[in-house]
Amino acid sequence: MRMLTYICRRFLVLIPQLFLISIITFTLVRMLPGDPARLELGPLAPEEGVELLRHQLRLDQPLPQQYIAYLQRLIQGDLGRSWVNSSSVAQDLLVRAPATLELITAGMLIVLVVIVPIALVSASPSRGWLARTTRRISFGYGLLAGALPDFWLGLVLIFVFFSVLGWAPGPEGRLAILDLPPERVTGFYVVDTLLAGNFDTLRSALSHLALPAITLAFVYGGPIFKMVRASMEAALRSDYTVYAEGLGLPRRTVLLWAMRNAAPPAVVVTGVVAGYLLGGAVLIEAVFNLNGIGQYAVQSITTADYAPIQGFVLVAAVFTMMVYLVVDLLQFMIDPRVSARAS
Amino acid sequence: MKARNVDDGERPQHSSGGVSRHSAYRSFIRLWSRLSGFERAVLVVFVLVLIIAAIGPFVAPYPPTFADPLQRLAPPSITHPFGTDENGIDVLSRLIAAPRTDVLIAVIATTLSLAVGAPLGVVAGYFEGADRRAMRWISEGTLRLLDVIQAFPVFILAMVLVAIRGTGPINVVFAVAFVNFPVFLRLVRSEILSLRERPYAEAAVALGNSELGVGFKHLLPNAWSTVLVQVSVTIGFAVLLTAGLSFVGAGVSPPTPELGAMIASGAKFMTIGQWWVAMFPGLLLGLIVFTFAVMGDIVGKLMEPGQGAILPRHLLSNDRIAPAAQAEAAIPSRQDAVLSVRGLTIGAYGRPPILDGVSFDLMPGEILGVVGLPGSGKSILVRAIVRLLGHGLQRRAGHVLFRGKDLAELDEEALRAIRGYEILPLLPNAKSQLNPLVRVGDLMVAHIRAHDRCSRREAHARAAKMLGAIGIGDAKHWLAAYPHELSGGMAQRVCLAIALVHRPPLIIADEPTAGLDVTVQRQALDLMIELCRQSGAAQVLATRELGIVAQYCDRVVVLHEGLIVETGAVRDVLLAPRHAITHRLIAAADLRAISAAGITNTFPKIVR
Repeated sequence: MRMLTYICRRFLVLIPQLFLISIITFTLVRMLPGDPARLELGPLAPEEGVELLRHQLRLDQPLPQQYIAYLQRLIQGDLGRSWVNSSSVAQDLLVRAPATLELITAGMLIVLVVIVPIALVSASPSRGWLARTTRRISFGYGLLAGALPDFWLGLVLIFVFFSVLGWAPGPEGRLAILDLPPERVTGFYVVDTLLAGNFDTLRSALSHLALPAITLAFVYGGPIFKMVRASMEAALRSDYTVYAEGLGLPRRTVLLWAMRNAAPPAVVVTGVVAGYLLGGAVLIEAVFNLNGIGQYAVQSITTADYAPIQGFVLVAAVFTMMVYLVVDLLQFMIDPRVSARAS
Repeated sequence: MKARNVDDGERPQHSSGGVSRHSAYRSFIRLWSRLSGFERAVLVVFVLVLIIAAIGPFVAPYPPTFADPLQRLAPPSITHPFGTDENGIDVLSRLIAAPRTDVLIAVIATTLSLAVGAPLGVVAGYFEGADRRAMRWISEGTLRLLDVIQAFPVFILAMVLVAIRGTGPINVVFAVAFVNFPVFLRLVRSEILSLRERPYAEAAVALGNSELGVGFKHLLPNAWSTVLVQVSVTIGFAVLLTAGLSFVGAGVSPPTPELGAMIASGAKFMTIGQWWVAMFPGLLLGLIVFTFAVMGDIVGKLMEPGQGAILPRHLLSNDRIAPAAQAEAAIPSRQDAVLSVRGLTIGAYGRPPILDGVSFDLMPGEILGVVGLPGSGKSILVRAIVRLLGHGLQRRAGHVLFRGKDLAELDEEALRAIRGYEILPLLPNAKSQLNPLVRVGDLMVAHIRAHDRCSRREAHARAAKMLGAIGIGDAKHWLAAYPHELSGGMAQRVCLAIALVHRPPLIIADEPTAGLDVTVQRQALDLMIELCRQSGAAQVLATRELGIVAQYCDRVVVLHEGLIVETGAVRDVLLAPRHAITHRLIAAADLRAISAAGITNTFPKIVR
């Protein structure tokens, strides 16, 4: 019951936020010099077509009406058309979104499976070899993670693992050129090949995903790593951990309970990073030629194709807001103090 | 004498000019000595980066835009240490010339975001605490607006801004500045919010200054150290952003030397093995971002007053306190003692010991008070018995014999079996001893099952019974509660229940009533002592209140600076104190409390 009222309240906050996002994307295009209808249709479109769209967009009417027209189009799922390939932007984004989401998911999985455990172990003050090694790793990683540019790291990984060692495929996209993409069910190649039972293509999809996902995990796992480590250290030093040790509780219980306390801040940072990644992984997509929505946006900017940019910015912002929503709900579930404060 | 006035009399023999130069040098040395070797290295690299950014284009061995078609894509050699790029331009020369573009853009952009964000942050912080509701609404609205702005992908937002205004360094500056200004607004706002609670801010307002004026004149200067750290980090981030923009062609475009554009031009050669064109700019980029990030930490460290001012080596030469009286350590422990501590010496590495040769015996059922001034080592002594010392403190000498076993020598597993089963801790601020995310019942069940083989259900029933036994009704409700739902007194009783559930022979208590309301302290102590006596547990009770010792303890140990200065039966020590510290403690003790509580039977004479 408490949970339900909290969810309702949290959704109420979301509505004005979504409105704000739409207002910002709306003004973004109004800020461009020139006629929005002309921008959307491109320099080659005939004047009649532009005139028609101008009427549809109600550009002949005052700004509030134009905004309402924009909202109406949004609600219908119409994000305009790209003038470069004259396709619907919503359709384009939908086709490309799985590539980006697959990259983010794989990267975050690596963060959770590799980077977070290292952070947890390196937080322990023990003098065993494992703790000492992880502490050394974490020192080096802490120094490098925030400083190396993701696009450059991707290039270096390509150079080392493709050009020199030949272990990984080059930046040719999500599959080898000769591979046929699996039948589209979810759009995630890894899932779709599994559903189709096509293991050769699955292997190809995974090997093409490996380097970009590692790049993403390495660069954007940095803040998560630091937060997990710091909050685990604080939890291990805290009174309640000393007390739990003083009660002779099994070591496993003591560590698990300390981890429970390290979890809430770690979840928040993970959420912030994940929310950022839809727009943040743009350059990794471009380097590895994954053809996700980020690369789509970059291409659109270089061709001055504004409808896709507007659509992408909107989708990325809404995605971020949704991730924040999920983070807040998770926070509510794992920390009884938050739920006590919220109700 | 004139010079003395100029320089606060520090160095009267020099002329004023010489003094200021000299003291600048000295303060530099002082700052330098506070840095670790790593930080010094970073500082040197940072200065190098700044120098290269300033004079780079003039010192490059080749002109950074000079193309030599005969030397295209030459690998690293003596004439071109880092090779040449696709146009035959020397990579090293471009590397030396490039940081100027990136660093300059980043510094200007960051300054711009600071110039916009900081004043807005002051206003937002000021509005947030204002009395007028409209002002609070404006502040709240600004923050929510920022939430939404920050939901937009930074990189794409910057790209769009550049796309709107056209490429070129100036537009990159505007774009980078725009995406970063919310960071400063938020930071300054939260700093102002915490600073405005300070007494000097309130005093300045009370003197009749306007609140907004106080914000700018008194609070903003105090926020600078935090802001400066963020400035350094943001410059690093801005360098990355600038390079990223140029990498996709939405920033600075060739032929201006720029790191991101250099990486872009080398990207296609990376896959075919000609690595040097893109590799070196990336390394340099990483180095620049990294030095700015670490510089943030260094600046923060140097601006924090007193941080790191006392180094261990200064302390080592300090005169130590009097050498320990080792005599008692040599006395063999009594056969029937529950606990006997012999010559226990605890300290951190390279520092004088915190406990110095402490020895005492504890008989079954006996209650030993450990008193001393704050900082005398009472808590450390209590914790050292079961090796619950924090990281960094170690036992240097001595033994802790518990029923014939030396706890100091036991391995972790054997110690774990004793901790919580035969020796139970009761620590101050009971509420902070309970893990906020673990239900009371889960803790009690885990504790019971850690030492007794029984089912979860049995353990739960035992926990409920134990809570009932110490007078907590509705045990079921409290077992399901989280610590934040408990009052301090309730938490203390839960800890007491945990301490007694296994009927341990020894309880070690460290200010067990600290953090409790004064009105319930005595009640809690009465309960604790009564239950201990009932179960026959011996107790070490560390406290700074002699009243508690007088009322409840059988014997007392007076600690001072890690040494036992006096020990004996409570009555003997309190009636005939020999050590100055004991005198002081007695003088400070609330003797009315001692006399008021019915201690006349154990202590007939002190009332007189």
